Parts: sequence; C-alpha cells; structure tokens
Amino acid sequence: MGTIIEASATATASEHRRSLSPGSLELADAAARSCLARANRTAEELDLLINAGIFHDKIISEPAFASLIQEDIGANLTRPAGAGHGTFSFDVYNGACGLLTGIALVDGMLASGTVKLAMVVASDMDPEPGISEGFSFPGVGGAVLLSADDSRAGFTAFQFATFPEFAELFQSSVDWHDHPGNGSAHPDHPGRNILTVEIAESYAARALECAESTARELAREQALDLSQIDLIIATASVPGFADALATRLGIPTTAVATLPDDLHSAHTAAPALALQSAELAAGSTTLFISAGAGITVTAALYLA
Amino acid sequence: MGGVSVNSGEHWMALEGGADGSPPGGHYTSRFVGIGASLPERRLGSEELMASTAHRTGIDLERLTGVHERRIAGAGEDSYTLALGAARNALAYAGCAAEDLDVLIVSSITHYVGGLRMQLDPPLSVSLKSALGARRALSFDISNACAGMMTGVFLLNDMIRAGQIRRGMVVSGEYISQLGRNAALEIRTIMDDQLASLTLGDAGAAAILERAPEGAAGIEVAGFTTLAEHSRLCLAFPAKVGRGVSMYSDARTLQEVGIEDTVPMLREALDQAGLEFDQIDYFIPHQTSARAIKKGVQEFTERMGGGPKHVVVTVDEFGNTSSTTHFVALWKYLTEGRFAASDRVLLLSIASGLEVGIVIFKVDQLVERYGHDH
Repeated sequence: MGTIIEASATATASEHRRSLSPGSLELADAAARSCLARANRTAEELDLLINAGIFHDKIISEPAFASLIQEDIGANLTRPAGAGHGTFSFDVYNGACGLLTGIALVDGMLASGTVKLAMVVASDMDPEPGISEGFSFPGVGGAVLLSADDSRAGFTAFQFATFPEFAELFQSSVDWHDHPGNGSAHPDHPGRNILTVEIAESYAARALECAESTARELAREQALDLSQIDLIIATASVPGFADALATRLGIPTTAVATLPDDLHSAHTAAPALALQSAELAAGSTTLFISAGAGITVTAALYLA
Repeated sequence: MGGVSVNSGEHWMALEGGADGSPPGGHYTSRFVGIGASLPERRLGSEELMASTAHRTGIDLERLTGVHERRIAGAGEDSYTLALGAARNALAYAGCAAEDLDVLIVSSITHYVGGLRMQLDPPLSVSLKSALGARRALSFDISNACAGMMTGVFLLNDMIRAGQIRRGMVVSGEYISQLGRNAALEIRTIMDDQLASLTLGDAGAAAILERAPEGAAGIEVAGFTTLAEHSRLCLAFPAKVGRGVSMYSDARTLQEVGIEDTVPMLREALDQAGLEFDQIDYFIPHQTSARAIKKGVQEFTERMGGGPKHVVVTVDEFGNTSSTTHFVALWKYLTEGRFAASDRVLLLSIASGLEVGIVIFKVDQLVERYGHDH
C-alpha cells in the first residue's frame, strides 16, 4: 500500500485571466479545482485539505487559509442530515518545504486509514504589491491530490532536516513601519504594517549544501544509489537550484524537472509546478527535495 | 489500509479510535504524559482595558463576557518565549528529554518574535527545536485558528496510534492580547465586530503525547471536521491602527452555528467512544466567554439528554488564550490536583473555520506526574 499522486495542477498569476490581479486565494482555488478535475474527482470526496502556502491575501492569519479554499471549492461545507463524510482543513507552515511536509502528513493519515483522499494546496502572491519589501516570488498556486493504492509503492520514504545556524539567511516578517514613504493606512496612526522578505546572497549556496547532505542521508538510509534516480524535483525558491543540486548529487541534468523561466523563483507551490513539466512514468524513481527558510530541508522518494 | 473503507458514510468527522476500532491502522493507544504552560506575570483587568478605549463605549466587559482579567506579555515576552517556556514545563512533567521527541509541532496563531514582529519565515518550530535540543524531531508549524493545538494533538495521536512515532509535542505561544489593544482604539459599541478581541489573553501551552503501554488508558477518541460554510465569520489581518493584528468576527453567528453544528459531532464522537455525555467527568470547551460556555453547555445537555459532571471555566482569570485554552485549563487543574486518575475528560474545540475538534481521554497517570495521588 502506498501513497500515490492522483493528479497535480497549478495556476499562475500570469496565465490566470479570471481577474486582472488574482490573489493567492484565487490561485489556490483554481489549482485545487483543476487538480480535482484532472483526477475526475469531486470536492465532496476530499477527507482532508491542507494548505501549505505562506503569503496570503491580506496576510490573513485566521482562519486557516485551507478553510477558505474548502469553502470556495465546495468541499462538504455543512453537515447534511444523514450519512456522508466531512472534510478537515488546516494549514502547514514549513517555508518552501510546506508542500512536501503536507504530503508527508497525508502519507501518515492515509497509512493509518484516518483519511482516504487528501489534497495539499499551496499558493503565494504579494499581498500588497508596491508596499511589501523584497517580495520576489511569482504568483503561483499548486495542488497535489493523494490517495492510497494497494498495488503501488508511491511515496516510500521522507527525510527532514533543519539547519538553524542558517536561520538568518531567509527571513520574512510583518512589522510596523512609522511614517512610510508610501503613505499611511490610517489617518490617526501614521504608519503601517509591512511585509518584508529578506534572502541573503549566500542562501542559495547554503541551501544547496543542506539539500545535498539531506539527500545523501536519505540515500544512505534507503540504500539507494542516487544515480538510479529517474527524476528530481528540487526547489528552494531561487533560480538554478535544481540543476545545481542534481550536478552535486551526480544525477544527470536531463532528469531535472524544470520550472518555466519566469517562474524559477516560485515559492511553496514550486514542487507542483515542477511536476507539470515531468512525467511520473511507471517504474520510475523520483526524488522530491525542497529547501527553504530555516534552513529546512524535506526530501521524499516516490516510486511510480 | 488494504482498501478498507473507513470514511464512506460512517463518520462525518475524521475520527481516530473508538468502539469499532477504526481507523484500522491504529494499533496503539496514545496518551498525554505532560501538559505545560507559561503564563506572563502581568495582569490586565477588564476594567483597566475598557478604560483605555479611544471612544466611550459603555460596555461592561466583565459582566458581558465573564472575563475579570487576562495575562499580558511583558518586556521580553512574545509568542516564541511563551512557547519555549511551556515546552520546557511540559518536558519536566513528562519526565523526558527533548531529544526523545520524534515530532515537534508549533501551532500558534501568533508568530511574534522580538516584540510585535510577526515572523513568517523561518517557521517558529526551527528555532524552538534548536533551543529545546529536540535534535531528532521532525518539526513544522501548523495554523488552525483557536483549534491549532487540538489539531496538533489530532495529528500526533494518529501518528502514535499507527506506530509511526513514539512521542511528540505540540506547543503554542500566543501573544494575542495586542488584538485587544488594537480593538480598544477603534471599538465604539457592543455590536462592534472587534468585541471578541477584548477577551483575549496571552499564554503558552504545550502537550506531550506518547505511546501508552499495552492496556494502559489514554486518548479514547479524537475527531475533527471543518464546516467551511462558515469560514469567513472570523478573520484576522495585520492591523491598520498599530502593531500586531486586528480580528473581525461575527461572534453572535459564530456562537449560534458553533453550538448547532457541534451537537451532531459530539454525538458522533461519544458514540464512537461508546459513551453518553453524562459519563464525561470534566468538559473543557474552548474559552470564549462565560456566557457562551453556559449557553453551549445548556444546549448540549438538553440535546444530548444529560450533561457532564463538571464544566471547566478559566476564561474569568485568563481570558480567551486562543489555541492554548484547553491546555492552560488542563495544566491548571492538574497542578491544582483537581482531577482523579479515573476521570474522563472531553476537550471541545470550536474555532474559526469553522473547526470542530473533540478529544476524549482518561486522566490516569497524569495525576501522579503532578504530585497528586487522590
């Protein structure tokens, strides 16, 4: 019995024409709907919905963003009289590792039998373009639909690592700025809360080192020869990461799932985005690996 | 799972444990072995808070909500320090080391580090894991409004029951009283949508769960669901009037639908545990206001045909400490020696989302860990 990917989908701000400036919720909703449609599933079938995106519209901190997505896609909104099953929604925050962390949680709950069908959704969008500082991630929403299959291996191993010595290299926060140059949000209170993202130049290099050591640890524990990897989906919210990591691990760059040029800095939805350019061919082995703020690394092996 | 259908009409909630042994992947029992808390020393009375409002409101907050006072973070205290204090406190009661933790989940709504700087990246779990020395722990943050810690308990319970891990901690540090400070700047009448913010208080809380020895008591049933039809009844964003966050809620509707939608969930969880509501010794609901708790208990008792032996109310002295309320209440009752080992407790979370979460467990060995033997 394994946790398998039934479908994945994305929605990008540049392609999404429903509105002129789609927010992160709209992108998450679109990716979630598209993912369900690709798997020929309905929202009512979902037992679990996890959001792993971080940069939400209005920087909303309550309720869980997942519950807003659940309402928008119409997944068991209210309990009908009689039988049926509900949907449980919550958010996971683990930087750019959120989507893989969500998948790991789903894997556990599918294995225990607590849920049968789950979706992990992630999206990020600049909540206040022109006001936020240092926000460089493209607007992308992604969704991955997961279920258990007796006849397939699916996700076979997860590896997690944190490197708190590099915590300063990737920071994002919301803090009050007095008298900002772009005007006050409230006439009586000259200042406003502003989102700031700071990624140090050395982050990319350190993320590579951390990801490499985590991948090698995973390979050691699973007795896996990394040259057997057919596909690598590697993301760290910075350009060039996947190719560089593959090279360090001795995986041919032809096995790298690439991101479109204009989306190479995609944040939490990046693994779903990379999946769009790849095929999880039967019998193939895929290495998923994400690095993010912390520095945190999450890796997983998937046998299609 | 073997293709066994566990959620095809049997249960509305995602359920763990219970009379029919579902889900089939649960081979072990998990139990609480340490509940920790961290409360700021500083107290803010409702009278003092209402005296600070920018407009004359005429609201008698204590009479309306039953909140006499709440703790508020002082200098050097924030979400992170409250969480860290609670985590260390829980470890001491559990008698285990941080490196014994397989999983560390941080479930705060507020992520304030260094005052009112809301940290989005890195997740708070990275620095907490490091500060605690939980070097083996898989760590991540979750967010599920006031149901955050209960969600963490649900996740850990599932992992422990299935044998995926042996021990885990969920911890929250809520520096959330600033929502009340921000509300005080804008609130004008009793109908204001920021009224609920005035009840909030700061606290850290932590719970450690581990695999129970065979045959030992522990968590009997845990269940969760999200009734997202009501997802927009309570929303919080960075404030426009100052540091921190402002929260806007339709508290009246939230309370009404919360009670209405919870009744069938309570029934489902109790049925799963093979229990009636009057077999619950201590009922710990989410602490919103004394009036809301009273109304909820009345309604539940009427609809369930009997009520719990005791209802735990801490909102009078701590206010609503958001995701930590159930565990601050548990910690208080444990440290005060108010439970007997044979007591059965039901924790009920009703939170923005609308989240409904239920955990039913036997106190058992926890009593001894707090120096009481009853």
